[in-house]
Amino acid sequence: MTQSAELEVRNDVGLHARPAATFVKTAARFKAAITISNLTAGKGPVNAKSLLAVLGCGVASGHRIMVSAEGEDEEAAIAAMRTLADRGFPTDMPQN
Amino acid sequence: MADAPEPLVGIVVASHSAKIAEGVVELAGQMAGPEVRLIAAGGAIDGTLGTDAGKIAEAIARADAGAGVVVVADLGSAVLSAKLALDMLEPQIAARTRLSGGPLVEGAVIAAVQASIGDDVAAVVAAAEEAAHMPKDVS
Repeated sequence: MTQSAELEVRNDVGLHARPAATFVKTAARFKAAITISNLTAGKGPVNAKSLLAVLGCGVASGHRIMVSAEGEDEEAAIAAMRTLADRGFPTDMPQN
Repeated sequence: MADAPEPLVGIVVASHSAKIAEGVVELAGQMAGPEVRLIAAGGAIDGTLGTDAGKIAEAIARADAGAGVVVVADLGSAVLSAKLALDMLEPQIAARTRLSGGPLVEGAVIAAVQASIGDDVAAVVAAAEEAAHMPKDVS
């Protein structure tokens, strides 16, 4: 089963530079295959563990994204991505 | 995966300018975090503008944690020096080192982030080269 969450990006810069790297590094902690779509711009889904792919989604502040995970730890992955979005993709997020 | 104890791919930034190499290492390190070995190899042996194969070879050896190294280089002769550097290294280190034909800054940043999440050397060099198409919203 796939787990998904629709999230709003509420930080200042969207998913660019360090927030995008934080997003990718958080996704990579999980075994599940994780994708991100930019619902606002109609881009994706793309691999959430690729910085280039995430940057290519052009996620700006205020955009809505869909994050989907499929794999043994998909529920934990979606929970972590939701927490990350709620906190505005902080660059000092602990990695483990 | 980041929680695995396996070594990460290292990155060498080879530039004609020591300041550029150090600056790119600083930037990529900010993006990727402290786990990735990022080594600057900038300038000629006497500190002037240029590249030095020995300096690059030493940087590759320091960047290698066992998972291989990706070298990003700026202009033509930096790539040439990096190729010469491969001949100066132990064969097993040279065999797991890849040269990126992608852009220096974007390639180093993207490569470092992908290395930080445990991508293998083939995936990291592919990402470094694809960085030539890194989207920049200039509208």
